[in-house]
Amino acid sequence: MMQVLATSLLLALSTAVIAAPQIGQPAPDFTLTDTQGNEVSLSDFRGQTVILEWTNHDCPFVVKHYQPGNMQDQQRLARNQHDAVWLSIISSRPGAQGHVSPEEADELTASRDAYPNAVLIDEPGDVGRAYDARVTPHMYIIDAEGILRYMGGIDSNPSRDPEDIPDATQYVVVALEQMAAGEEITDSVTRPYGCQVHY
Amino acid sequence: MMRSLFAALILLPLLSWAAPEYGTVERDHIRAELIAEITAVEPGQSFWAGLRLEPDDNWHTYWLNPGDSGLPTQLHWDLPDGVKAGEIEWAWPEALQMGHLVNYGYKDGHLLPVRIDTPDSLVPGETLTLVVDAAWLVCEEICIPGDATLALDLDVIDHGQRRESPHAALFADTLERVPEKAGWTARFNTEGGNLSVQVVPEDIDLSGDLAFFVINDNLVEHAREPSVLAENGQILVSQPLSAYFSRAPEQLEFILVDHDAGQAWHLSAETGELLSAGALVDSSSPGWALALILALAGGVLLNLMPCVFPVLSIKAMSLVSGAGHDQRGHGLAYTAGVLVSFAVLAAVLLALRAGGEAIGWGFQLQSAWFVALLVYILFALGLSLSGLFDFGTRLMGIGQGLTEKGGSRGSFFTGVLACVVASPCTAPFMGAALGAAVFMPWPMAMSVFLALGFGLALPMLVLSFSPALARRLPRPGPWMETFKQAMAFPLYLAVVWLLWVLARQTDPTGLALVLSGMVVLAFALWLGGRESRGESLVVARHAAVGLSLIFVLSTLFSADRFGGAEAVSVDNAHWETYSAETLAELRDDPERAVLVNMTADWCITCLVNERVALNTSAVREAMEENDVVYLKGDWTRRDPDITEYLSSYDRNGVPLYVLYPRNGEDPRVLPQVLTPQLVIQALERS
Repeated sequence: MMQVLATSLLLALSTAVIAAPQIGQPAPDFTLTDTQGNEVSLSDFRGQTVILEWTNHDCPFVVKHYQPGNMQDQQRLARNQHDAVWLSIISSRPGAQGHVSPEEADELTASRDAYPNAVLIDEPGDVGRAYDARVTPHMYIIDAEGILRYMGGIDSNPSRDPEDIPDATQYVVVALEQMAAGEEITDSVTRPYGCQVHY
Repeated sequence: MMRSLFAALILLPLLSWAAPEYGTVERDHIRAELIAEITAVEPGQSFWAGLRLEPDDNWHTYWLNPGDSGLPTQLHWDLPDGVKAGEIEWAWPEALQMGHLVNYGYKDGHLLPVRIDTPDSLVPGETLTLVVDAAWLVCEEICIPGDATLALDLDVIDHGQRRESPHAALFADTLERVPEKAGWTARFNTEGGNLSVQVVPEDIDLSGDLAFFVINDNLVEHAREPSVLAENGQILVSQPLSAYFSRAPEQLEFILVDHDAGQAWHLSAETGELLSAGALVDSSSPGWALALILALAGGVLLNLMPCVFPVLSIKAMSLVSGAGHDQRGHGLAYTAGVLVSFAVLAAVLLALRAGGEAIGWGFQLQSAWFVALLVYILFALGLSLSGLFDFGTRLMGIGQGLTEKGGSRGSFFTGVLACVVASPCTAPFMGAALGAAVFMPWPMAMSVFLALGFGLALPMLVLSFSPALARRLPRPGPWMETFKQAMAFPLYLAVVWLLWVLARQTDPTGLALVLSGMVVLAFALWLGGRESRGESLVVARHAAVGLSLIFVLSTLFSADRFGGAEAVSVDNAHWETYSAETLAELRDDPERAVLVNMTADWCITCLVNERVALNTSAVREAMEENDVVYLKGDWTRRDPDITEYLSSYDRNGVPLYVLYPRNGEDPRVLPQVLTPQLVIQALERS
């Protein structure tokens, strides 16, 4: 009996572990509905750089970057200077912490003065799992050819203290600048830190 | 609403700095308090203080490496001049499964102890106030950051009685759970998608329920349980690398916890090759010297083993009767015989190992004819000791004959016989030590085997170089006869064991042949040992003995040709017998995954793996649930099909475990040491 239990536990555990997508490989395509009810697919943006941001408004680590305006600055920089598309994705399952209705999501965007192209709701969590999004915030950059170029944390200081943001390496910003300069991305995989995504 | 939350978040630390709090403070889902092990401090004294945290049920805080998410608790001290606080001494954590992630932290109330050093300038009568700004993350489904500025007053007293606080026991308990820094040799590498660590613990036997926690962050996939194995005096740890792993650290920091012993060690590892423990054991290390001494002592002890003793009595008797002859030459020749045979066996073993194999000392037992030969030799020796014929005198006679011709071949071959006969006895006796030697670089491994051989030869060598001692050897007499006859029975038992091995390697016909060979051998020896009565009879007798021996020899080799005992049909056997055709057929079916296990009865590792992993019900169920067909190939006797299969994986020995995932994906080779978790995880990904 115990062994059956242990086996099923192990099986459950190992199924939960899904390999992350690979840098340099095509990023998994997906279609999700945004807060306006439009269907949005990754492939719609072929020819443009796409940034994916997994988010959960109550997570202290997300708050750390929205409260002093760091996340919004990056959204503006990406869209206005790099002609990139910024998609914020919410993968909290219904009933779980962080889950919001489309209206609430729009209110959050407005109240925080956020600047994404779209906020996508991923209730079943399939897209989050396909990207192995573990925490919020968890960042991905996909280039104009649909190739995954960056995945990982928002910056190099895994803390919840907004005061250390100026000292941290802002990985997404650095990666966008390196891509624009045609250079290799120095840190293409970094440690994502934050709150777990509640699938 | 959100803005007021932000404001509160920012203001909280400021507010708390403004007014340090005494005693237990309540925060969301957690209580915190600054405590110390004493209530009064003497100038210059060092003591333990620390943060006690008590999260609500099902909530937790984090260890130094928080795992896949989370943050470790942080302390910033505000102390009077000259008072110094050390780092947090973290007790070992628990691995906490949180959804799809694993965190390292503490679920229950816990203490983060810090050592405080005070200067001599403290003034008795005054108060020492410790202030700490603590920040933590307390999580369940959601995470709530918390912080507090906590204070504690301690009276400064002149030298006097130590005044323990009511928390002293909690400090003692926690400090026992703080890993002890150990300078053990450890290496790691990050090849093949795994963090592999090899540790050689010193002066400690680690074998219980071991846990591994890496301190470096962003290195391993915390949700994939590490496999921790203690064997051959070393610990091998393997854990898949994190998908977010980018580069290997220069130094790996980790802790090992022995839950059975309630002890833990903090270790650092350098990056390096792990293939053999040899990389860790250089010639100056005590490990190698110890192995040499143990091998030498083990060799001397081998002289007492029942299967070696008869050979020795032969040699001893030849020494006794050979007084006056070149005894030293005999002793040296005997030693050479032993050493050369050990060197040959070790060389074969090490050559196979260099080919990527970790094989056991008993590998020569793979061939049925070698086993049958040993059966005959031991049986003949047994019969000799039982008095059917006088093997000793005759061999001694041959030896003398050879000596007279100026050779010491008799002694040399007695040495060879001692080694050959000793080998089956060595397996259970020196198995662990030889297993360790197999992992050393070859010159060191060879030296260990030679030390074992030298130990075996040593008593006889000493006797041959000391005529005084040799003269003291008891003369053959009635007591010796009884003793000799008694010695036959352990030999017969050894024969029974070898026949069992043989029965697994050949079929009933082959076994019957060897058994009749034994009868004929007994007949030939009996006939050959009889007093001669007349010329014509002598001719007939020689002819009969010769024919019998030819028959015995032919059975020896034909035993090898009969098919192995076909998979003994066990009702609940959950495997099918391997054949290349079966495998090819199964591979054509995209729905089936196949696990191939190549094994042998004489391969101890194989038997252990089957017992602890493959045949457990957990693994059997995982096979059923994942529709995996389990094929088993038995290499107990030679099988060209299996040899070919092994060589297709660059192997020349067992065990070999290969998993073929469904849909014809590339096969994966599993490690040679299996755990149930490892197999189940592999099956799951098939």
